[in-house]
Amino acid sequence: MVLPGVLVIVLFIAYPVFEALRLSLYEIDLLSGNERYAALNNYVAVFNDPKFPRVLFNTFVWSVGSLIGQFVLGFWAALLINRDLPGMRLVRSILLMPYVVPVITVALCARWMLDGTYGILSEGLQASGLLGHNQSPLASPTSAMVSVIIANVWRSFPFVMIAYWAAMQGIPKEQYEAARIDGASRWQELRFVTLPNLMAVTVTLIMLRLFWTVTYFDLIWLMTQGGPGGATEHWPIWVHQEAMGFFRFGYAAAIAVTLSATLMLSWMLYAGVTRIRRAQ
Amino acid sequence: MKSRSRFDVVAHYGAALLLVGFVAFPLAWMAIASVTAAGQLFTSPPRLFPSEFTLDWYRSVWSASEAPRFFMNSLVIALATTVACVIIGILSAYATTRFEFPGKQLFLVGALASYVFPAILLFLPVYLILTGLGLTNTLVGIVVAHIVVSFPFAVWMLRSYLLAIPRELDEAAWVDGASYLRTLISVVLPVCLPGVFSTAIFIFVLSWNEFLFASVIAESSRNKTITVGIAEFITAFDVRWGEIMALGTIATVPVVILFISVQRYFLKGVLEGAVKG
Repeated sequence: MVLPGVLVIVLFIAYPVFEALRLSLYEIDLLSGNERYAALNNYVAVFNDPKFPRVLFNTFVWSVGSLIGQFVLGFWAALLINRDLPGMRLVRSILLMPYVVPVITVALCARWMLDGTYGILSEGLQASGLLGHNQSPLASPTSAMVSVIIANVWRSFPFVMIAYWAAMQGIPKEQYEAARIDGASRWQELRFVTLPNLMAVTVTLIMLRLFWTVTYFDLIWLMTQGGPGGATEHWPIWVHQEAMGFFRFGYAAAIAVTLSATLMLSWMLYAGVTRIRRAQ
Repeated sequence: MKSRSRFDVVAHYGAALLLVGFVAFPLAWMAIASVTAAGQLFTSPPRLFPSEFTLDWYRSVWSASEAPRFFMNSLVIALATTVACVIIGILSAYATTRFEFPGKQLFLVGALASYVFPAILLFLPVYLILTGLGLTNTLVGIVVAHIVVSFPFAVWMLRSYLLAIPRELDEAAWVDGASYLRTLISVVLPVCLPGVFSTAIFIFVLSWNEFLFASVIAESSRNKTITVGIAEFITAFDVRWGEIMALGTIATVPVVILFISVQRYFLKGVLEGAVKG
């Protein structure tokens, strides 16, 4: 019964991971189809690549910015929809929409609204003097990064919202009643009842979102392709560029493996730290 | 019970409205643009309230572009992926919730790991494997890639539903002499049909929205999905916003309707701890 499932996992997930590791040790010449064993040369090259510091920095800004945005917005939205007021179910339904909207839609909405000539947001920014005439925020480095981060926050905060909402739904009503009897203000309720109950889910959520954000390729690719001038080129874009742009498969695999290994390592570190914290 | 101050409630609705605006505006703005006449679409500064509407953009993408083919491709791929994932997924989920067998933990860990595994690591080897099998530039190749993306998720989500069904139900059927497969099909499945259904919808949406694998595998426009098709429209030399907005709306409406129709099950699943972003 489980055989087909095992086959899928082994053939199309375990084997590709192994294949990525193997590829990363080879130099592949696509023209002749030659594979030459290169030991760790690809990895040495990754760290020595002149692009490396910039890509690392972009990945960091992209991830931290996106995470902060989606957690702030997601938590806030969860508080809103968790309150028992008329209309909140409708609000919940609407706020969930970005969760299923295709990335391509997000990207093209953003590009339309940020278009230098016809874009409504660009127009607003131009009118307030923040942008030059007929300029698009996607055309200059800093604002391009800010734009992709905001678009990503739009797309991803509903996940955080719904996870927090589920956790809030699980908090026993008695805890709130007890707090009220003790005369707690709303703020104190939030601080001493809601937040402590969300700690466990936060630990998992941060890790999941970090993984998905760091490795998320589609949105940046569709909005800026890593531009302008590499200003939004983060790690996954780099992998894609080397693989599909320059056909340096071995090198691309080494970059992808380095990214995955970094994530695995940070995950183990994180899990270790939270475990020690909990033990204390 | 403390009475709520009026200010508090007003602030609450104000905040909710703000967030709803943030979420809804881009989509609404796209939908509006898709029916705005050219004369009012391409104005600088842009008009907030266009007054002349047209269905020309839809007509144009439907008759003069390959959009219908992209749409059909997406539909076929998403359906095939969904059917395959649900069937293989439910078998795996059933086996791992009902029986002990060697390697079960390994299988579950493997599924969980690939659930968070970066597609960006997998896409290159998967692409090379598909090349080796001669499946690049075929719809089958895209379906295989989408199964890779969705399968671990399917197993985990289906497991959470199957775990909620008491084992005694199965055991009663086994005692009556039903085979495992028979038990799964006629006893367990009917009970967890809503769960299976919402998992299916999710896989459908994941496949419909997927870009990276589809863009690498589909080379000729004959095999492109709607997401890849639009992406090419938008990076093309002259950016035809009217058509693009129409295409975007066409690509978005089906998944939003699907999602709204099964939201009840989705929320139930979330409360039981099965989500994917």
